[in-house]
Amino acid sequence: MAFTKMVNDTKSSATESRQSKAGRRDDRRDSGSRSSRRRFLAASGVGFAGLTGLAGCLGGGTSGPTGPVKIGVLAPEPGSNPIGASIAQSAKLAAEQLNQDDGILGNDVEVIVKDTHEKPSTGRDVYQDLTVGEEVDFTTGIFTSEVLLALMDSISEQETIHMSTGAATPDAATMVKDDYEAYKYFFRTGPVNAHFLGQNMVDFANANFSNMGWDSVYVLVEDYAWTKPVESVLNNQLGEAGVDVAGMKRYAGGTEDFSTIYDQVEQSGADAAFVAMAHTGTPAVVQWIKQQRPFEFGGIHVPMQLPSYYQATKGACRFAITQNSATPTSEITSKTVPYANAYHDANDKYPVYTGYITFDAVKQYAAAAESASSRAATDIISKLESEPFTGTVGTIRYYGQDEAYPHDVVYDPSGENGVRPLWLQWQEHDGAGKQVSIHPDSVAEGSYRKPPWV
Amino acid sequence: MALPLGGVVVNALMISALYALVAIGFTLIFGVGGVLNLAHGASITIGAFAAYYVSSVFGLGIWAGALAALVVPALFSAAMYLGMIQYVEDNPITVMILTLVTFIAVEEVVKIVAGTQAVAIQSLLTGQVAIGNGLEANRLLVFALSWVLIGLLFAVVNYTRTGKAILATSMSSKGAALVGIESDRMYLYTWILAGAFAGIAGLFLASLQTANWSMGRTPLVLSFSIVVLGGIGSIRGSVVGAYIIGFLETLTTSYVDSSLTGLASLVVLVLILLVKPEGLFGREFTE
Repeated sequence: MAFTKMVNDTKSSATESRQSKAGRRDDRRDSGSRSSRRRFLAASGVGFAGLTGLAGCLGGGTSGPTGPVKIGVLAPEPGSNPIGASIAQSAKLAAEQLNQDDGILGNDVEVIVKDTHEKPSTGRDVYQDLTVGEEVDFTTGIFTSEVLLALMDSISEQETIHMSTGAATPDAATMVKDDYEAYKYFFRTGPVNAHFLGQNMVDFANANFSNMGWDSVYVLVEDYAWTKPVESVLNNQLGEAGVDVAGMKRYAGGTEDFSTIYDQVEQSGADAAFVAMAHTGTPAVVQWIKQQRPFEFGGIHVPMQLPSYYQATKGACRFAITQNSATPTSEITSKTVPYANAYHDANDKYPVYTGYITFDAVKQYAAAAESASSRAATDIISKLESEPFTGTVGTIRYYGQDEAYPHDVVYDPSGENGVRPLWLQWQEHDGAGKQVSIHPDSVAEGSYRKPPWV
Repeated sequence: MALPLGGVVVNALMISALYALVAIGFTLIFGVGGVLNLAHGASITIGAFAAYYVSSVFGLGIWAGALAALVVPALFSAAMYLGMIQYVEDNPITVMILTLVTFIAVEEVVKIVAGTQAVAIQSLLTGQVAIGNGLEANRLLVFALSWVLIGLLFAVVNYTRTGKAILATSMSSKGAALVGIESDRMYLYTWILAGAFAGIAGLFLASLQTANWSMGRTPLVLSFSIVVLGGIGSIRGSVVGAYIIGFLETLTTSYVDSSLTGLASLVVLVLILLVKPEGLFGREFTE
């Protein structure tokens, strides 16, 4: 279960990769956009079947491909990893619902799932299978930032829309900003990028810390690339929000023993540890509870977002809080709870955040295609850019070309013109653990409870 | 702001006992059989996950889990010796490759079966003990049990017939054979003991921290440093070495930087190999 990487690692060499491909892109522009796809096919010897299949596609004019609408889904270990399973099963659920309602533009919707194994090289291979072999209309999924960044050039070359639903690196949007024409096929339907994950932590602090009694916090972030934008926002803005930062620690990625780190938090006199943890989250929260440390605990804690986490840890997450995209019982929009229940009916378990977002991505793509009356990528892109969509996690809009993170989902602290994450606390109700939303007020199901030992 | 020394010393005392459990098994197999068992870390992982499955997944309680953590790795270790190592023990390169491959295979299986995310198991003992700022009762129990096990091992090796036979085999397998000791059986016993000890260490680590598929690696690397420091093959040296390494580690992470885990012990490993390769206690068990 690699749900450790919800927010994922960004790749620092994105600039380098952008530069290295500039030459290839120029070639392509010289010879016309579709021809590169043909050249690739011929060169890679995909075979006669693929070529004949593509002929119809190329001759399709501006309305794009014909036949069933194929959705290419890239998921990490969809058989065993809840993150990957949520991506794959949610795409299928959305497709089923669309098919019951006459599909997309009257065509049936098909879902083809491929496993990325969280490896950039595997990601590239299966992406080629999907776009060149299966000729999908668009792709969605991807959880690992490294995989996403490794695919950005292929997405550009294949001129196939990708609606990303798991990775948090802001670097992909930066690429769209630097070369819009090449990278305009990329959209991040969710989660909000790593910069806004940090921003949301500060907004949460502003709104709630004084009520919670968190006057002083010790910031703990794990040393993975995804936490860098988060840490930099916290560094710059937490103090301004009137929070006393008793200490800030970027601890080693492989940390398993938190005794020493917690000794330091304890000694600083902080009311709480304000954390950004994905890979190291479980040992951290388990040791916090077992050692009954005299400070409170919360922040972005990816494993705690998993609906089955309470059972998995035998309650060793009680009283801890985390940011999340949605919970099965939070009515962010009228679509949230029905989706979660439909997913539960189909799979006998609730999805994690990537499920909500993937479901939204497929539905939004369908809405854009219907609105454009076209399956051509460029027509759909202009609809995605201009038409907001109400999904399960809120109002999905994308930043424009002139903003800092083009094609990233808009973060709006008010929740009206964009999405905003919610905050939940693991509480015990009737002997069972429950993810109780505590913020924002519009979705709150309860209020924050202090751990009794603090 | 420096941490108070008292708490740091307590941390070091606790973790060193666990290191000793792991290192003793490692040194036993090397001292008695002359085999460098790189799969020793796998026994830790197997112990932890045996406890997890029995206690949490099958719901049989943590003490049934503890029993599983003792028995399953011991069986695994015995199976490894009987099925593989006894045929190749005279060829150190083959042994190293086989044990390393086994370790990796075990990790992969755990990854597939249990996933990559850490899992938590219940504490053996809940609550806090009023020592200093309050100490987790479970940690204290782990510390005490580790020492009970180490004490038992000393007693067995020094005062029972089988223990003495193991000791004799480690000194000279030919000599032992001459007085009627079946060295193969002694080798098997050491593998079983080492597996059980590592398994219990795995249980303790899982109970204090969490269990994950790669949890055997750090203790294995630390064991290298510990047994080289203490003198390869020496049980007493392993215990002393575990405490030196444990304190060094804890002091480094507490007062220098918490991300330097493992570095201090590797520096010690290199220094000892260069300056005093026989370690602090020589090789008591050598021929």
